[in-house]
Amino acid sequence: MTSPYKVLIANRGEIAVRVIKTCRKMGLRTVAVYSDADVGALHVRLADESFHLGPANPLKSYLNIERLCEAIERTKADLVHPGYGFLAENAEFARAVTRLGVRWVGPPADVMEKLASKTYSRKMAREAGLPIIPGTLEPVSEQQLEQVVNQIGFPILIKPDRGGGGKGTKLIRSHAELNSEIFRSAAREAQYGFGRPDLYVEKLLDQPRHIEVQILADEFGNVYALGERECTIQRRYQKIIEEAPSPVISEESRRYIYDLAKRYAEKVGYVNAGTVEMLRDSSGQFYFLEINKRIQVEHPVTELTTGIDIVELQLRVALGEELPLKTDMKPVGHAIECRIYAEDPKNFMPSPGRITEFSQPLDGSVRLDHALEAGAVISPYYDPLIAKAISYGENREESRKRMVDYLQKLKIDGVKTNIPFLLAILESDNFRVGDFYTNWVNDVLENGGFPIP
Amino acid sequence: MAEVVAPIPGLVARVTVKVGETIKAGDTVVVLNVMKTEVNVQSDTAGVVREVRVKEWDEVDIGTVLVVLDEK
Repeated sequence: MTSPYKVLIANRGEIAVRVIKTCRKMGLRTVAVYSDADVGALHVRLADESFHLGPANPLKSYLNIERLCEAIERTKADLVHPGYGFLAENAEFARAVTRLGVRWVGPPADVMEKLASKTYSRKMAREAGLPIIPGTLEPVSEQQLEQVVNQIGFPILIKPDRGGGGKGTKLIRSHAELNSEIFRSAAREAQYGFGRPDLYVEKLLDQPRHIEVQILADEFGNVYALGERECTIQRRYQKIIEEAPSPVISEESRRYIYDLAKRYAEKVGYVNAGTVEMLRDSSGQFYFLEINKRIQVEHPVTELTTGIDIVELQLRVALGEELPLKTDMKPVGHAIECRIYAEDPKNFMPSPGRITEFSQPLDGSVRLDHALEAGAVISPYYDPLIAKAISYGENREESRKRMVDYLQKLKIDGVKTNIPFLLAILESDNFRVGDFYTNWVNDVLENGGFPIP
Repeated sequence: MAEVVAPIPGLVARVTVKVGETIKAGDTVVVLNVMKTEVNVQSDTAGVVREVRVKEWDEVDIGTVLVVLDEK
């Protein structure tokens, strides 16, 4: 059965390929977009149609709203799936798409716009009764900083109100470190990176874990939680390994954080797939961190432990359907995702280049989301994430062993990859027993590092 | 005369020197954005900046001349 609908995927690489696969399964037609760097790329060849956006520079192609709107009009697309990254959380693009009479596969533009502010998001969390990290509910001036510190104490983080990915975030441990230069440099970085100089303050939690809840909401007021993900293994605020379920969550805590996430989604009028991110401090207390308004890189660990195709439900919600779910879902078995980056495993320098050989082991319990093939160019202009391996097992140890075995056999030549680094983490004693916190990888790297051959 | 070239392909994120400026060996002259990571390109030699050949958001390849110096 072929549906009359056509979906334009405003993205590239593994996520574009992944979205196209679900569209195909649903009988939806697909349009790929591409830049000069992606002529002949896998996502372009897999789609029913394609549209050339422009030069490799993302500002002139994948971030070019005007050009993307032209692509939508010319190809007569009915829906736009933004993937993650690029314009996925850009309210202006969502609004432009909606104005063309085309369905945006994501939350409404005005909800996205408001939630782009971290302090607004925190205010909503407090109003919905979620615990928030001590700090400010409004952007602060340099003069107000002193007063805030007197209330919450050190150490604190100064963060851009419209930031992300840890950019522009400054850690201040004591009065000695609190000076106008650090505040001004944070404001400059916020202006440069996110177009606004506004900063707010959050207390630094003691060795927290990052645990998030995947939610799905439809236009009929149904909101469901699909499981939590533990994303504590990070390097410089970038997630590296994610898993579901979290190794430290009891059934009771799961119900508690599901309730928090769903209350938040209802409070802000959320529709479509989203992720409520939380931190859990060393005493076990949860705090709201932020909401991500897109499909996330790590969504496959939820898919493997629930059997749900999240992209399919995103598309159904965007088409105005009611979610075909009855209750919240609980993870079954255990899934681990490793992000494979084109970077030197020892010094983390990016490693663009051309793939000379690519072969994956035959293992039905590991899914590889990727856009790799021999001859594919890993461009210096885009994200270093080139593939994601997601292993499944009946329990955490089985899943971990399958991942180790798989990564040892996976062959990606022509660029350096972080696979040796991933293996070192997976084989570490701390990872085996689930004993880690968000800064654990950084701490190990600062104290001799991981054993990498 | 000495040239500072790009060691890796990428986009120019920032130029951190001006024509006429005196720099030391090891000073960063250009910051490249490579796969969304900032990579500092440093000069191997000390000198005075004679010419800046790139600007923000230029695409550069391995070996593209970024800055020309008069050696000291």
